Amino acid sequence: MQSLINIENLTVELQAKIILSNVDLSLEKGEILGLVGPSGCGKTTLLNTLAGFIAQNAGIIEIKPTNKAPIEISINNMLPAEQRNIGMIFQDYALFPHLTVNENICFGLSALAKTEQQNRCAELLTLLELSEFSQRFPHQLSGGQQQRVAIARALAPQPSLLLLDEPFSNIDARLRNELMIEIRQLLKRLGMTAIFVTHNKDEVFTFADKIAVMHQGQVLQVGSPASVCQQPNSWQVADFLQLGSWLPASLINNNNKLSVRTLIGELDEQSIKYQVLADLAKQESNNQLLIKPNNIERCQLKEYNVVIEHISVTEQGFHYLLRSIEQNSELSFSQLSYYSQELHTLGDALSVRLKADSFHLYAVENNHL
Amino acid sequence: MLNKILFSSFVLVAVLTTSINVFANDDVNVYSYRQPFLVEPLFNEFTKETGIKVNVVFAKKGMAERLEREGEYSPADILLTTDISRLIELKDKHLLQAVQSPELTAAIPAQYKAADNTWYALTTRVRNIYSAKRLGKVDFNYEDLADEKYRGKICTRSGKHPYNVALVSAMIAEHGEAETLTWLEKVKANLARKPQGSDRAQVQAIHQNLCDISLGNSYYFGNMLNDDKQKVWADAVYINFPNQKNRGAHVNISGMAMAKYAPNKANALALMNFLVSKPAQKMYAETNMEYPVRPGVQPSKLVASWGEFKADTLSLETIAKHRKAALILLDKAQFDL
Amino acid sequence: MIIGNTSTSWKFFSWFFALALISPIVVMLVGSLNNAGDLFSHLWATVLPEYIQNTLVLGVLVALLSFCFGVPAAVLISQTNIVMAKQLRWLLMLPLAMPAYLVAYLYTDLFDYAGPVQRLLRAWFNWQSPNDYYFFDIRTLGGAAIVISLVMFPYVYMLTRTAFEQQDRNLLRASRLLGCSERQSFYKIALPLARPAIAISLTLVIMETLADFATVQYFAVNTLTTAIYDTWLGYGDFGAANALASVLMLFILFVVVAEQRARAGQRHQSSRPNANQERKKLSLTQQIFGSIFCWFLVLAGFLLPLTLLIIMAIDYADYPQLIALIATGKNSLEIAIYSATIATLIALTLALFHRLHQSRSRMIPLQISGFGYAIPGTVLAMAMLATFGPLDHAINDVAKGVGFQAPGLILSGTVFAIIFAFVVRFSAIANGTINAGISQIPKSLDLAPGSLGVKTLPAIFRVHLPLLKSSILVAWLLVFVEAMKELPAVLLLRPFNFETLSTQIYQLISDERLEQGALGAILIVLFGLLPIIFLNRQKDS
Repeated sequence: MQSLINIENLTVELQAKIILSNVDLSLEKGEILGLVGPSGCGKTTLLNTLAGFIAQNAGIIEIKPTNKAPIEISINNMLPAEQRNIGMIFQDYALFPHLTVNENICFGLSALAKTEQQNRCAELLTLLELSEFSQRFPHQLSGGQQQRVAIARALAPQPSLLLLDEPFSNIDARLRNELMIEIRQLLKRLGMTAIFVTHNKDEVFTFADKIAVMHQGQVLQVGSPASVCQQPNSWQVADFLQLGSWLPASLINNNNKLSVRTLIGELDEQSIKYQVLADLAKQESNNQLLIKPNNIERCQLKEYNVVIEHISVTEQGFHYLLRSIEQNSELSFSQLSYYSQELHTLGDALSVRLKADSFHLYAVENNHL
Repeated sequence: MLNKILFSSFVLVAVLTTSINVFANDDVNVYSYRQPFLVEPLFNEFTKETGIKVNVVFAKKGMAERLEREGEYSPADILLTTDISRLIELKDKHLLQAVQSPELTAAIPAQYKAADNTWYALTTRVRNIYSAKRLGKVDFNYEDLADEKYRGKICTRSGKHPYNVALVSAMIAEHGEAETLTWLEKVKANLARKPQGSDRAQVQAIHQNLCDISLGNSYYFGNMLNDDKQKVWADAVYINFPNQKNRGAHVNISGMAMAKYAPNKANALALMNFLVSKPAQKMYAETNMEYPVRPGVQPSKLVASWGEFKADTLSLETIAKHRKAALILLDKAQFDL
Repeated sequence: MIIGNTSTSWKFFSWFFALALISPIVVMLVGSLNNAGDLFSHLWATVLPEYIQNTLVLGVLVALLSFCFGVPAAVLISQTNIVMAKQLRWLLMLPLAMPAYLVAYLYTDLFDYAGPVQRLLRAWFNWQSPNDYYFFDIRTLGGAAIVISLVMFPYVYMLTRTAFEQQDRNLLRASRLLGCSERQSFYKIALPLARPAIAISLTLVIMETLADFATVQYFAVNTLTTAIYDTWLGYGDFGAANALASVLMLFILFVVVAEQRARAGQRHQSSRPNANQERKKLSLTQQIFGSIFCWFLVLAGFLLPLTLLIIMAIDYADYPQLIALIATGKNSLEIAIYSATIATLIALTLALFHRLHQSRSRMIPLQISGFGYAIPGTVLAMAMLATFGPLDHAINDVAKGVGFQAPGLILSGTVFAIIFAFVVRFSAIANGTINAGISQIPKSLDLAPGSLGVKTLPAIFRVHLPLLKSSILVAWLLVFVEAMKELPAVLLLRPFNFETLSTQIYQLISDERLEQGALGAILIVLFGLLPIIFLNRQKDS
């Protein structure tokens, strides 16, 4: 299947600072891409660059809609925003306050005949259950209604790509999930290709077909939510997606046999996935094991090795944060997650160990965790 | 607390205002239509002679209204005006009182004071016709301004200015309303430009070839000749005394009166007497180039050099009587539009 | 929320101030009933239709020109990369410091047939008479409209520029994505969104224009104010003058109501001020024409008149003038400071009453207290005399009745009357500024102090007033400057031996001797710069 949008080597500099560097992305028709990353990672800049609000310094954006002529945006051909056929839903919706709902939705349809405009508007009003509000002004609507108007307005000109900038951040948390599913179904029904930006990982997993994790202007990993979760390719991806907690680890070379040592147990080379320990050993870095909750179990050692720092309640039981009793080692930790049905009290000392399993080990630049 | 602030600011204002309001009894208070720099030298002289301080408030508009509103508590003693209609207006509103003194009787001829002694003229001023020297010497009548041969050649200030209104009143007294209206309409048709500016500005316009003829009071000519910048304007024109072969030139006055409720009556009378005295009349003649009303006091040398003239003997009260009719005619002719 | 005793006294004071401020207007309206009507029909048959037409045409022309000057300037400064934008930003506000009557005098003098410009042209080209060439006639309706607009447009410029700068950037982006070009987005989104600001500023400009007398007089343009003066001073019919003034006020009221109607239903608050917006890059031609346009406005509205004044001052100023200036300057300062302070305090009282009180009629005091802005200064002065004259009489009668010495005219015959007149006339400015400031304060802050156990008055002093600090200062400065410039009311109401800068300049102008008042005029202009400097500094910080 041919991709609808292709981004190659996209680089953006603002005020002599590189905001995006060599971004490559492609998306097939009807796919929804979730763009995630910590704030300041460049995801909004990427959106604004696609929309045409910011000019790229290098790279190419290709859009090949099925029903329209393809466009290619490069530094030699900076197509203005209005010629890109891209729709956008803004975080605060950016509804035109001086226009009614109906006029807002028809705004992008001025090329069409009046009757056709009204037909398409009416269609969207029905689709988004806004018919009764068509003559209201934006300030007379609730937040959710405003968002639906924003969606209708963006969809009205039938864009080949829809951009959504933190679309759910202003929505009540309780309604958010329901709304996300509703909108996802709508976009799927319309076969709309979309890129949306969020800093909330739960939104990505609910809304996206494909996620791209960004960090400091670069796309670290792209893939289906499941594959990214299972195989995060860097500690930043794992960290941002909160796939587990971090346990400091050191590499030990014992007669040319490498093994990993932590304060709650040692692992041999076979337990480590996707990384060649020999490569890691060459780096002067701080190594961290990604620990999923079910990787830790209690054991009956003579000596306790951890103390309970914090307790919170979850649907499945209790979530404890553990601190190592040993505090003066480079392997000391203070926030290791551990889930259990058992009830402990704060300050209890326990002894825990790593279960036999396969683990991710990452080299982390100092002071980043 | 906010209220307290407001209250204290009002108190402050009250204190400030009353402090200004305190006048000693040996003062005399003047409401003047005349500009302060014209009369101040006279007042200074008066104070020097008598020790009586003169307080002045000057306004061109609304003095009568103010005096009327102030009524019996008005601080005003003396009123100075620049034309006859103002005096009559004040008199008609019963804001003046009759005053008599040997000095006044001696100094002011009967035609230059009210029959009931409520007002006295101080100076007379002629409504002259100025003409460009390039026209040569011409004998003008006011009636000539309507002559078609001056189409586009005449300049004047607003018809509604008191000086022009008084002239129109005099025309009504002479010719009646209907004829005066025709005259006004014809003069309007002869105007080089819409009425605007002051009397001096018209002379300047003649100097600049914009027009050939203008209306203006006599003393402006003298004042212009004495002004370095304006002398060239005045040098471009002749000053003409109109209607010398018939009724004579229209004359208006500047005058004075005592307010009905004058609180410092004695001082006020002293000031009035002073203003008609020979030295004061001479000062009027010299500083502002007006004709003193007191017989025997000569106009300034410069003014005298323009020659003797015949003044219209029409009574000043008649002129004032036709004032409203004059205004109505000016409106009807749409003179200023 | 105001409760308890404070509530009652606050309500009392608010209504007291409002009624006091509107009383001269009521007196004027009542006075207008006392008119015979025959004069009215005479005027109607002769000149009044043309006066009214002139008034309307002048109002429309000034509004149109102020729009044509102010809006493009606002667009150039706020949305493009025009050269020296940072300097032009505040330079374009300077004409506000010029009293209109002063510029009118300077310009009629300059461009008149006998003025230096035409003289020079005639000398160069050896033209002899006006028939030899065409030169625009400055003393026309058009000339008056241009000159008034040159000093009034900064209102439009300032408010419109602020509106543009506060527009949500995303609205324009959304419009672009929906297929509108930059230009289309401007006309369909940015301009309509700035409409309320444009409308308010144009209303201000029209109000000032319609109430003006001194300026149009220099242009020999007869308007409704001319008719008011004619009927009052010429015909001596105070009733008819009042009636005409009431008609004028209705005109102005109509403009105000129309403007408010036009804005009804539109409420937009920007959540994301467009401080760092994408500025349009101008082409070279655009850059040149834009710069010429802006600099022309600065030059014609401020630099040229100021230069003329400075040249006059250099030629004519001398030491005694300077000494006299100190005395008159002190008077001007005094009344301006008092007026500004009182107007600001009243505006605070009324605006906070409107905001915090729960009575249904809470907005009425604020609204009615601003009516005075619509009345020409002289008419207002007359109304003051008609209002305070009888009051003074009552005071004196009572004093005499109980055996004291009559205190004299302590209200109508002192600077009290002037200050009161200024407060009546300029309250609208103070009210508007402070009310705008208050509406920026989140409503939740009205309630927060109560939840912390702080009473209303202390809460106002600790929360509202500190937050309003800059609005209060702006209101104060604006009234201060207007009071420094205002002329007719002082002229008629002043006590003995009381000169202000404006009356002095006026007298010299009316005797065509402005040269000797140039120093004072420069002083007024310099004071007029204060709020502009302040407003500009505030924006920058």
